[in-house]
Amino acid sequence: MSDLNVENRAGAAPFVARPRRTAYIDILFAVIAFAVLAALPFLFDSKALLDFVIRCSAFGLFATSLNLLVGYTGLISFGHGMFFGLGAYGFGLLMQRANVSIPLAMLCTLAITALAAVVIGAICVRLKEIYFAFVTLAFQMLIHSVILSWQSLTGGDQGLRGGIKRPVFWGIDLTNHVQLYIFSCALLVIGLLLMRQIAQSPFGYTLRMIRDNATRASFIGINVWRAKLTVFVLAALFASVGGMIMSLFVSGAYPEFAYWTISGEGIFINMLGGVTTFLGPMVGTVLLLILNDTATRLTEHYGIVLGVVILFFALGLRKGLMDFAVDWYRAWRDKAREQP
Amino acid sequence: MTKTGKPGINRRTTLALMGAGAFTVASPWVARAQAKTIKIGMPTILSGRVAQLGTSSRNAVMLEVEKVNAAGGLAGRQIEMVVRDSKGQPQEAARIARELVNTDGCELLIDGEASSGSFAVHEVARDIGVLCIHTCSEASSLTADPKQHIPNAFRCVRQGIHDSIAGGSYAANIAKAKGLKKWATCSPDYAYGRDTTAEFVTYLKHFAPDVEIISETWPKLFQPDYTETVTKILQAKPQALYSALWGGDLTSYIDQANIYAMFTQMEVFAVNMADYTALTVVKNLPKGIHSGNRYIKTYPATAENAAWGDAYKAKYKEYPTNWSWQNATAVMFLSEAAKKANSTDGKKLAEVLTGLTIKCPFGADGTVTMRGEDRTLVGYAIGWGTTIPNEPYVPEVKSGDWKQIFALEAEWKKSKGYT
Repeated sequence: MSDLNVENRAGAAPFVARPRRTAYIDILFAVIAFAVLAALPFLFDSKALLDFVIRCSAFGLFATSLNLLVGYTGLISFGHGMFFGLGAYGFGLLMQRANVSIPLAMLCTLAITALAAVVIGAICVRLKEIYFAFVTLAFQMLIHSVILSWQSLTGGDQGLRGGIKRPVFWGIDLTNHVQLYIFSCALLVIGLLLMRQIAQSPFGYTLRMIRDNATRASFIGINVWRAKLTVFVLAALFASVGGMIMSLFVSGAYPEFAYWTISGEGIFINMLGGVTTFLGPMVGTVLLLILNDTATRLTEHYGIVLGVVILFFALGLRKGLMDFAVDWYRAWRDKAREQP
Repeated sequence: MTKTGKPGINRRTTLALMGAGAFTVASPWVARAQAKTIKIGMPTILSGRVAQLGTSSRNAVMLEVEKVNAAGGLAGRQIEMVVRDSKGQPQEAARIARELVNTDGCELLIDGEASSGSFAVHEVARDIGVLCIHTCSEASSLTADPKQHIPNAFRCVRQGIHDSIAGGSYAANIAKAKGLKKWATCSPDYAYGRDTTAEFVTYLKHFAPDVEIISETWPKLFQPDYTETVTKILQAKPQALYSALWGGDLTSYIDQANIYAMFTQMEVFAVNMADYTALTVVKNLPKGIHSGNRYIKTYPATAENAAWGDAYKAKYKEYPTNWSWQNATAVMFLSEAAKKANSTDGKKLAEVLTGLTIKCPFGADGTVTMRGEDRTLVGYAIGWGTTIPNEPYVPEVKSGDWKQIFALEAEWKKSKGYT
């Protein structure tokens, strides 16, 4: 250990100390973010605001986990929604039928999701680009079809009926709206923090290298298939947590949660927020949900509004909002430095 | 000497600000207490392939709400409808239902969602205790399954099980009279199609035990091409065909099957044919298709029903749908319950609604009942008849027997473990 420290001081210190310092800063940010979110119910008497943040938590985790694949690894998955659906159904079924506690149901759901992700990922990550995208889509449609067909278990197209029980655990009562809200915020913040650590770890930089040049990564000794499979499974786990939050919010699970449109929304959120910054998908989630809630309130022609926004981002900004903001800030900073 | 003001704000300004603040904080409660209008929220589907479900539901609700408001409102309060599009997504339906109550101040919900969306709204009603009337979901389990029972949710919709019993009885009589023993089925491949078909076959065999199903086809929902399905049925050479296809799928199917002259080769029983959404869209409506009534203004053959259908068409320039009469009936129930309770309080309305019978143009005997045991609609006009290419499309409808429906429905509930 002491040798390592000496070595760090000698030359490698910047590479070791910086991630550690960054991790502390991330934890500090996470604590502040959670404190702010937890304070909202006491500052604003708005149930709609709490509902909005709960939905942001579900979709934010889902979209950010998709960005681990799309933005960090270059794997454009069209079927990531299957894990969102698996999370919702796995958790809902365990709560309805197995009569277990919420934490145990969540852990079991994560185990089921991991198993499914390993099997599906082992096949998909061997493929590149459009082939990867289409095979993930095919698996998503397979899972959706199973949900529709296996009526005795899943309720078919009517979904899981009868509500999801929420027994009290560790003094937490999720039938209470505020406690459900705080629980969702906690899952969101913890999930984002963990994903941030993955993205900033040596493994995260390996993923970037694979994205930029998989052949070169392979030549320097990286097992590309294993790295891709690992991130595929990790991303699936976080998407599954998003699905669990959604199933708690609607007190059920429905086939639409595992349909390709959910994956499409994930891709759109990433386009909207940007894929080059860690918080881009979270910003995209907030934007999409505000857009959705406002547009459906004001007009029945939601599709037209959404189409115009997509065109604005695709043809106008040519990047996500956070990407645009970061680029603009860098340009401004460089210009300020150049001035005497 | 220079006069200097005290820093900060003076006493008068402070008092004025406190007064304004108190008014701002208190105004929502003052406004609510004084509100003469009652807001009713309605999540429904207003976009996508089944947008007609939402638009025709909303039209019918607005038609009835205008009448109620003109007659003095709901227990003296004018109704204001707040209708939102869920896009057919259950999570959106749940979100909108919660928002309508928590943010928009809606005191009652009319749930115009289909299938999974209605179950999502049902959970919201369970969660926040708001009075909710489902008006579009025909899934029997929504009210038959005791797990779904909550005191504040009602269903004002026809049911698959009722249609199947009435249809099975009618079809068995035709089968016996014409010697139709070999049957085929062609229904959409999802829960509604499979459940309704299974139930129809069960009751067809119950009334005509020598019937045999020789071919089953399950086209996908919204499938554009039915060639394979049509040719498979023709090759099986059944004497009769049952179909639970609906809306655009049914009209596409008929148009494509017409090319193969299918309707001259077998008797066809299409439970969802007698609805203007299908009747007016098919290019060449074949004569003699047997259909259950969805909504036609000539059945029940009463002046009230005809007048309601004409009033709807005069206002919206199109005929009402099956969803329309169900939504209109929901408003009629609310209006009558508010009169009896002399209140718009959800709990009081729910108590009155349970077991309530009202006069209604869509009742089999001029009345419909919100059955107390499962808070669902019964006694509505239900029957089967055969089509002709032009209005009135289904000139004679043979009414279903509600006593028979009740008896077999009770057996069905037992077989499902619901009772």
